[in-house]
Amino acid sequence: MPQFLLRRLLQLVFVLFCISFITFMVGHLAPGDPIQAMMGNRRDPRLYEQLRRQYGLDRPWYEQYAGYVTGVLQGDLGKSYRYAGRPVWDLVKQGVPVSASLGLAALALSVLVGVPLGVLASVRANGIFDRASMTLMLTLFAVPSFVIAGLLQSLQVILFQNDLPNLPTSGWGKPENWVMPVLALAAATMGYLARLTRASMIGVLRQDYIRTAWAKGAGARRVYMHHALRNALIPIVTVLGPSVAFVVVGSFVVENVFRVPGIGFVAVQAINTRDYPVIQSVALLLALVVAVMSLITDVLYGILDPRIRTQS
Amino acid sequence: MLRRLFRSRVVLLSAIFLLALILVALFGSLFYAVDPSALDVNNLRAFPTPAHPMGTDDLGRDTLARLMMGLRVSLLVGVAVEAFNVIVGAGLGILAGYFGGWIDILVSRTADMLFAFPGLLLAILISAIFGSSVGGFAGGAGRLLLVSLSLAVVGWPLMARYTRGQTLALRERQFIESTRALGASDRHILWRHILPNLAGLIIVSATLDVAGVIVSEATLGLLGLSAQPPQTSLGKMIVEAFSYISLNWTQVLFPGLVLALLVLALSFVGDGLQEYVERG
Repeated sequence: MPQFLLRRLLQLVFVLFCISFITFMVGHLAPGDPIQAMMGNRRDPRLYEQLRRQYGLDRPWYEQYAGYVTGVLQGDLGKSYRYAGRPVWDLVKQGVPVSASLGLAALALSVLVGVPLGVLASVRANGIFDRASMTLMLTLFAVPSFVIAGLLQSLQVILFQNDLPNLPTSGWGKPENWVMPVLALAAATMGYLARLTRASMIGVLRQDYIRTAWAKGAGARRVYMHHALRNALIPIVTVLGPSVAFVVVGSFVVENVFRVPGIGFVAVQAINTRDYPVIQSVALLLALVVAVMSLITDVLYGILDPRIRTQS
Repeated sequence: MLRRLFRSRVVLLSAIFLLALILVALFGSLFYAVDPSALDVNNLRAFPTPAHPMGTDDLGRDTLARLMMGLRVSLLVGVAVEAFNVIVGAGLGILAGYFGGWIDILVSRTADMLFAFPGLLLAILISAIFGSSVGGFAGGAGRLLLVSLSLAVVGWPLMARYTRGQTLALRERQFIESTRALGASDRHILWRHILPNLAGLIIVSATLDVAGVIVSEATLGLLGLSAQPPQTSLGKMIVEAFSYISLNWTQVLFPGLVLALLVLALSFVGDGLQEYVERG
């Protein structure tokens, strides 16, 4: 196990290096002169030089990169171009808890609905419930989140116009604001997890030890929950890492569609004002979250399935 | 051959639907000659009427005409990205798998670096930062080229990794070794034996991938990073219609439905192709 953990940590260091380097380079290669853009039409060579030095743009790129990484390690994401001199973290920080709670809620919902649904579908595979629920789950998985968001919003508008109870289509803060963005964000992952759970359960239920359990007179509940599900869960744990990535990128869209003030929303505003350091920081933060989550899932996988630790 | 490909009715229906969408995107404007940029100020946010079969947006522009324009953008970007993935991704993957050595190291490590970014994040970053400077280039074509390139940067590593693995397995097969023993050059083996054997698999994975690319383009469009006015994209149409959804919900519904059906049809056709290629 320690060796497995070490190897996986080294991999994380490589991933973090790639993320920071590529993010830095994209910003570095960005066309145009950010300092001149910041100064607008003013021509003031002294101020120009001062700002350039303040943003570290007078140094060679490898020094800039080193400075960038040291800064990030100390929690300094750099300064905004749009709001001269203001730290990027100031602009991003209100969004972090919002995005985190939205993402966690969506992830929790997709696991809590997707996994049980997959188990139920596997109990009577190819039955009516199986087919109906799995078709629905395939649709949720295949249809992009913003289309689902659009359909949900259309539904609310129709409900509203007919004086029926409805939910708000945008905003954040009240509990009822959570329902639609969480549903839209959870839909794809839920569909994926449900189908994966079903396939995994069906594979496990065919194994000999399950027949043994039935033969020994174990009840259905014990066979499904105790014997089958425990092994069927292993492949599901492995996709939790990629699921986090899916939710993270999905939050960009969902936050903007439902006007949820998370970091995806902040990033799109930064795109419109060409505030590159903010865009870079959001990309960096999200990539970090995904990298760390995939490390955690890999370690969990190693704990659940000893074969993973010893091989390769 | 066709009968076996269309064994499943869903695949056949999807293929017909897909063909119809492509024809509408390419030639629709010949039969429905409404200017997608013309403003009908008396009919803002209209519901479907005979004059505007799918209604109008908040500036009074005809939704059916704009939908055809958006569909063109989606299909164009999808084809461009897959062309890049096949030529560059599969090309590098085959070379890496066949020759090994430093080519393999270079290709595999570059792919690993790009894999470090989750999903679309890198494409969002690239198209956000370079977007403003290519906007004016070639009347909007620069923007679409950038979107295609940023999606290709995200997409090719997967194709390269897949073809590399397939090539590695193929290289050890006996018929390749016999060919080599007969004195065939690497070039001959690559063109005459490796490529024809992988072509089916490459086409299948490109077809399965293109649905994802179209959703990605729509996502970038939604974030304001794809086609710019007067061009439009399905994602942009959807996000613009969100702002007046309480007045007219059909304007979110139509582009959303077209996108969803397009993606589903592509997935079914891809699955059908996969079954056909794998079972022979």
